[in-house]
Amino acid sequence: MSVKAFELVSAVEREQLMGEKVRITIECIECCGQHLYVGTNDCFIYHFLLEERTTTKGRLAYSSQKLLQKYLGLKKPVAELKAASALERLIVLCDATIALVDMVTLEPVPSGGAKLKGVTAFCINENPVTADPFCAEMAVVSARRRAVQICTVHEDRVQMLKEVATPEQPCTLSVDGYFLCLALPTQYMILNYSTGASQDLFPYDSEERKPIVKRIGREEFLLAAPGGLGMFASAEGISQRAPVSWSESVIGAAVCFPYVVALDEGFVTVHSMLDQQLKQTLSFREGHILQDFEGKVVLASTKAVYVLVPLPLEQQIQDLLAGHRVEEALTLTEGAQRNIPKDKFQILHKRILQQAGFIQFGQLQFSEAKEHFRKGQLDVRELISLYPLLLPASSSFTRCHPPLHEFADLNHLAQGDQEKVQRCKRFLISYLREVRSSESANGFREDVDTALLKLYAEIGHESLLDLLASDNACLLADSAPWLEKHNRYFALGLLYHYNGQDSSALQMWVRVVNGDLQDSTRADLFEYVVDFLSFCSNLDLVWKYADWALQKDQKIGVQIFTKRPISKETTGQLNPDEVIKYLEKHHQALVLYLEHLVLERRLQKEKYHTHLAVLYADRVLGLLSRPSATVEQLSSAREKLQRLLRESSLYRVQLLLGKLQESEVLLTERATLHGKLEEHDKALHILVHQLKNSTAAEDYCTWASEDHDPAHRQKLFHQLLSVYLDPDVPGGAQTMEAVDLLNRHADVFDAVQVLELLPEAWSLTLLRPFLCGALRANIHARRTSQVALGLARAENLQLHHDRLKYRGGPVFVSEKRGCQLCHNTFREPDCVCLPGGTPIHTHCAAQRLQDSPTKRRLDHGHTSNHT
Amino acid sequence: MPAARKMRKPDIKMVILGDMNVGKTSLLHRYTERSFKDTLSTVGGAFFLKQWGPYNISIWDTAGREQFHGLGSMYCRGASAIILTYDVTNWQSLVQLEECFLSLTDSANSDCIFAVVGNKVDLTDSYAQVETSKDVGPEESGISAAPSCAAPPHTPTIHKQVHQEDAMALYNRIIVYKALNEGTSPLAEKMCFETSAKTGYNVDSLFETLFELVLPSIIQKQARAKSPTVCLEEYEEKARKRKPDCCT
Ligand SMILES: Nc1nc2c(ncn2[C@@H]2O[C@H](COP(=O)(O)OP(=O)(O)OP(=O)(O)O)[C@@H](O)[C@H]2O)c(=O)[nH]1
Ligand SMILES: [Mg+2]
Repeated sequence: MSVKAFELVSAVEREQLMGEKVRITIECIECCGQHLYVGTNDCFIYHFLLEERTTTKGRLAYSSQKLLQKYLGLKKPVAELKAASALERLIVLCDATIALVDMVTLEPVPSGGAKLKGVTAFCINENPVTADPFCAEMAVVSARRRAVQICTVHEDRVQMLKEVATPEQPCTLSVDGYFLCLALPTQYMILNYSTGASQDLFPYDSEERKPIVKRIGREEFLLAAPGGLGMFASAEGISQRAPVSWSESVIGAAVCFPYVVALDEGFVTVHSMLDQQLKQTLSFREGHILQDFEGKVVLASTKAVYVLVPLPLEQQIQDLLAGHRVEEALTLTEGAQRNIPKDKFQILHKRILQQAGFIQFGQLQFSEAKEHFRKGQLDVRELISLYPLLLPASSSFTRCHPPLHEFADLNHLAQGDQEKVQRCKRFLISYLREVRSSESANGFREDVDTALLKLYAEIGHESLLDLLASDNACLLADSAPWLEKHNRYFALGLLYHYNGQDSSALQMWVRVVNGDLQDSTRADLFEYVVDFLSFCSNLDLVWKYADWALQKDQKIGVQIFTKRPISKETTGQLNPDEVIKYLEKHHQALVLYLEHLVLERRLQKEKYHTHLAVLYADRVLGLLSRPSATVEQLSSAREKLQRLLRESSLYRVQLLLGKLQESEVLLTERATLHGKLEEHDKALHILVHQLKNSTAAEDYCTWASEDHDPAHRQKLFHQLLSVYLDPDVPGGAQTMEAVDLLNRHADVFDAVQVLELLPEAWSLTLLRPFLCGALRANIHARRTSQVALGLARAENLQLHHDRLKYRGGPVFVSEKRGCQLCHNTFREPDCVCLPGGTPIHTHCAAQRLQDSPTKRRLDHGHTSNHT
Repeated sequence: MPAARKMRKPDIKMVILGDMNVGKTSLLHRYTERSFKDTLSTVGGAFFLKQWGPYNISIWDTAGREQFHGLGSMYCRGASAIILTYDVTNWQSLVQLEECFLSLTDSANSDCIFAVVGNKVDLTDSYAQVETSKDVGPEESGISAAPSCAAPPHTPTIHKQVHQEDAMALYNRIIVYKALNEGTSPLAEKMCFETSAKTGYNVDSLFETLFELVLPSIIQKQARAKSPTVCLEEYEEKARKRKPDCCT
């Protein structure tokens, strides 16, 4: 589990410091920009200029140049060095005393103010609370004092601000703002020196192990905890990150985001703050100091100084990806978000997501891969291009550089494992479908659709047809050969059609139907083609393939014409006459087409009706002349003919009559034709005497009088009756039929007339149903009319009443008054009132009525009114 | 650990405490990864962010080893819920809870919720041996201890050293120790669980019960973050918690 996050680069070599002097060791270091200060145990301070450069191999290297070395004259080790660069001062702890030296000359600066003696540790506040830029804040711990002193350091003096008491004497400390983080002999604690509030963190035995207190950011500290832990603690005393696990012998630690770097006796360890994992271990002997200065991690052994140079983040991420450590790579990327400018981060993040997706894709972890592709907004063509030949030849796509993955293509990825290849293909199908349904295919829909078509075609996916039948951007030039290669001729036809090349489509399909090409996509392809032609607006194509279709199957083929949608538009419409003419040679189709015109579309054209009737008749006659014809064939043919003859009244009756005259069999048909000519006697004669079918005769009467008034119906039935009763025919009167007719249709006949006709000898019981029926009908009629009469009277009376009401008062008639019409006086009280109540003589009224054209109206409106 | 990758700020903190080897890490793993795997004894601590509806809950797994006990107090600081875990086959692990771990919880929030959890119940009760893939219904969570379910005849199990009554008694002592209001604190029946990280028995129920109980805390915390005027209310609430109601 390792990442190469850092490289150890030498900064100051042994020769530049103590050379061969064995006893001299490095005690402390300080780094400030390019200036590196080293304090030694023999009371020297060395000042180096540290220059960064890049080697020819692209690595970072340092060259150091010794500017100065200064003996402080105390014979004691230099315990601590801190730079206050704004003041150009180095704060030096030596011989338990704090002194200031000039950063450039290393000359001691005589300082006024507080004398700080007996100091065991101090630290600089990197988050100072005072606004003065020309002073540094410092917290100091002195020997045998349970307190921390807060001081400010100025150019020429140190000023003590405050002393805060602590429960025990601190061993080491760190400060951020008002928060002191202290390592006491038995525990760590946070102390707010402004308010005095304190917070215990956790116990720690400082005797046993040197405590570490390291400010790592605003109000956050890193502490060495029992068991070799690196604990994080906020100023509130809360741990917001999980601890990292160091060795027990850790000496120093620093943070170089997102890593925690720690030094122990033999190694430098690098943990990620993002997942607490150990990421890198560098062997480092005689390690002594590890400190970070403005983001630069500097290490020292007792004799030499090194810089721990972080490798570029992108390289670290790429290393992780190269090791297929997707999650870690993403964690590192996302953790670095705050250190990278937003737009740059987004580009990087997307790229890493895409790479991660491809790694997972290579491991066949499709759902994770898909998620990363989606989040990384992958150009879908990157994925398609992995599959050989899927991208159209015309596509302008080239893979992104540097490549997002290590695969040449799918075969390389699958290493010949066909099962893998198939799974990848299925994944691509589902992925492309999603891409299509979202907007992300914009701009390269052709590539996406064509690829999808190819995949479908290859594995025989049923959605191939849906794709082609719906809105799509499949490239014809690229898809056609592919479809042909995979024998998807039906689909190819659809593609041609979608591209407006119906003629090619038809050509393809016809070849499949004819068996020249093999494609079993549709078992009913012939029907499909016919249907297609019936909708095809290119009439030339229709005519071109009609012959083929009709030859194959007239019954289905004719649907080209019969299924054609009828619209008002004249274009794309077929002229029925033309079609009929064309169909002459396809007899069955012709009949079907005429049936379509006459029976379905109900075109009222004599020509079609006659033509169809003639064809029907020919068929019947043909069957009659053929001994092999079955009864069923004949009866169904006749049924059709009869129906047409009965129901249509447009055909030429005489013509048909002439045709059917020859046949002795087609009596019903002939009767119908006579009926059409109103030659009922002939018709009935045929039915009764030749066909001898009384039911047919009765049906005839009913049919022939269908659209006529009851009188006509009565007449027909009487006619039939007289035919039955006619004694002058061979065989004599057909008494039984007559009786049946009467009994069955009692209500149609005029009973009186019938009774006169019937022979005296007939028994009453024989005619009982008829008589009963007739009587019933008569009585019913009488009663009905009586009721009607009564109702009419009542209505009339009501109207009178209303009228009187409207007219108001009585009408006065006297001998002195004259009639308005003749101006003679009234001699009788009888009179008639004109509208408005003017009385006139009854005879005058009658006279006037006769003259008036509105006689009828007056008839109803006025009656005599007696007063 | 994909969840940890998202650097979201947790809304609330939950801590799992208990002696080493009782199965704290296994419980958390079972809940978050839905599986049981070999664990290493935890060093220091680890945490996991759980998205619960719109809220982020950080769950801290602590180390049970004595060496790390000192860190417990810091982990508990600001916690809204603490899961005290023992091993049902180990009486000492329950004793430890009271003797070592309870005092570490002093730094938790004053309204912190406690749960006492007996893990490894698969070793002692056959009904917990069935691998549960689905959530245990919430209504079952309170009474789960009673082995009322028709237990299939099973091979003899390890002797159960801790019974749930003991855990409930501990829970009630915790309430007293914390000077929490017995009337308003959740009942022992609700807050004592027997679980198995191995089979998943009762694990979801444990975490989900706690999430639901800390929800008001989250909402209160968010409201406080939004408007400074709510501070008073918090003060009042604290005051009320401190002195138990004398009228009842
Ligand atoms: N049978 C059984 N074994 C369990 C169960 N839970 C944990 N274990 C086992 O108990 C041992 C300790 O489990 P951990 O989850 O590491 O225990 P812990 O509490 O995290 O221990 P520390 O991290 O040392 O504090 C492991 O061997 C687990 O396999 C359980 O429910 N049933
Ligand atoms: Mg653990």
